[in-house]
Amino acid sequence: MNIGFIGLGLMGRPLALHLARAGHALHLWARRPASLEPFKDVAARVHVSAAAVARHAEIIFVMVADAPDVRAVALEEEGIASGARPGLIVVDMSTINPNAAREIGAELAAKGIEFLDAPVSGGEIGAINAALTIMVGGKPEVFEKVKPLFEKMGKSITLIGAIGAGQVAKACNQILTGVGVAAVAEAFNFAAKSGVDPARVREALLGGFAYSKILENHGQRMLDRNFKPGFKAWMHQKDLRIVMEEAHRLGLMLPSAAATAQLFNAIVGSGMGEEDSVAALKLLERISAPEQ
Amino acid sequence: MGQPMAEHLLAAGHAFTVWSRRPASADFLLERGARWAESPAELARHSEIVCTNVTGSADVVALAAQLITALKPGSVHLDFSTIAPPVARELALRYAEKAVEFVDAPVSGGTAGARAATLAIMWGGKAALAERLDPLFACLGKTIVHAGAAGAGQVAKACNQLVMVAAIEATAEAARLAAAAGVDFNKVRQALAGGSAGSRVLEFFGAKMAARDFAPGVVARLHHKDFVMVMAEAARQGVPLPVGGTVMQQLDGLMAAGWGSEDTSRLLSVLERTAPAHLL
Repeated sequence: MNIGFIGLGLMGRPLALHLARAGHALHLWARRPASLEPFKDVAARVHVSAAAVARHAEIIFVMVADAPDVRAVALEEEGIASGARPGLIVVDMSTINPNAAREIGAELAAKGIEFLDAPVSGGEIGAINAALTIMVGGKPEVFEKVKPLFEKMGKSITLIGAIGAGQVAKACNQILTGVGVAAVAEAFNFAAKSGVDPARVREALLGGFAYSKILENHGQRMLDRNFKPGFKAWMHQKDLRIVMEEAHRLGLMLPSAAATAQLFNAIVGSGMGEEDSVAALKLLERISAPEQ
Repeated sequence: MGQPMAEHLLAAGHAFTVWSRRPASADFLLERGARWAESPAELARHSEIVCTNVTGSADVVALAAQLITALKPGSVHLDFSTIAPPVARELALRYAEKAVEFVDAPVSGGTAGARAATLAIMWGGKAALAERLDPLFACLGKTIVHAGAAGAGQVAKACNQLVMVAAIEATAEAARLAAAAGVDFNKVRQALAGGSAGSRVLEFFGAKMAARDFAPGVVARLHHKDFVMVMAEAARQGVPLPVGGTVMQQLDGLMAAGWGSEDTSRLLSVLERTAPAHLL
């Protein structure tokens, strides 16, 4: 199948490579030519624009940073819509505001283009191991067409509902992971300040009701003081911003997520945006210690 | 807000042209000698300074798109609306291409302040414009502060809303705590007014809460809208606002309850429904 892939960053690159290895013909376009380097040895054609990709592809995957980027790639000058053939399917795997996804989906539908929002969870490692969780919103018949390709990228693939529903699920995911990472960091800081070894606490808690993957994996990285991303803190800040934007739009009380969003503002504001979210621990340690 | 402000400028003897989405809202000014323009562009052709006072960023951007086609070089778009600081900065850049000045001049003081010409006006734009703008500002307000370059007025207004709405929430929490403990909040209010916690918010919103008078002053949905911008700016700058984040949530709860068109003193009711008295 002729497949387009736009957005060849940390996450997009391994996913596109999975599709190429499965025997599909890749059509690529990238803002930065450097992103195309890893595709020299696979069946991939490089195009001059997203519109040109659209002229050759039956399905196009998009994996970029935020809603304005998706909009630019899909709908603006030399974007996908301007080159699309009828029946093209655009699959946006970026994490963006659910309402923005609905708007982009509606604008594409008006041009006869199908749309799925399919944000993912699992980070770079999940992408490399094709073990992502993929949360999809859109029409069931469109989902069925794309599903075999999703299966090359992820392990847990769920059609959640109509367009936007994938992003709602991802927002819920980010509430749980954001608040979860903050909670583990707070617990470890609490233990350490109380003179107790957080490693022992973690070990004990893993056997009880406080067990979680975040306690296990993120907790271990905190103990190892391994702050390499993983999932960059500025992206978590962005995702929590999306969560809170929706809370403000809908009139929703999310007190814990709101407090966590402010914690992530502080992580990014104090220069740790490029580190993993587990840098929350360093922030808590710093603000719990006497000023130097 | 716009009506009394326009009336003051008209009374000061300026040649005055008006346009409004709902023409009826201009009748009052037309009776007093203002000229009617058929469109924002026509209004721009007749004016050296165009004042706007509308609801949100999108409204100002839409108006500016029309004004920019007709404003002459050297003229000024003076916007009194409360909008997002980056939108104000962006508008100033767009106007600069046409040698038109954009000034963001949000105000504080409510309709009462607008009527009495006692508004606080915080403006952003080129400092040299003060000479031309100060006489107009003097017709409208008492505290006029040039906060800095374009967008600075909106940053000042964001700070104003942060401090004020957080104080309304603190007042609501005090009222709730006093009532739950069986103490008359009116007594508490009187005692506090004379001490270090005394404030205009405690005086005004405290009285409304004590009287359970939730008729608006400023409707709560506007405070909600402003606070969304405050929190967006905090995220953009990477600044933690722990209290701001919590107050925003209480405002979200207020909207959820359907009180957006009532007074922001409804923050008291949000606390009451979170832990109802009969369950305490």
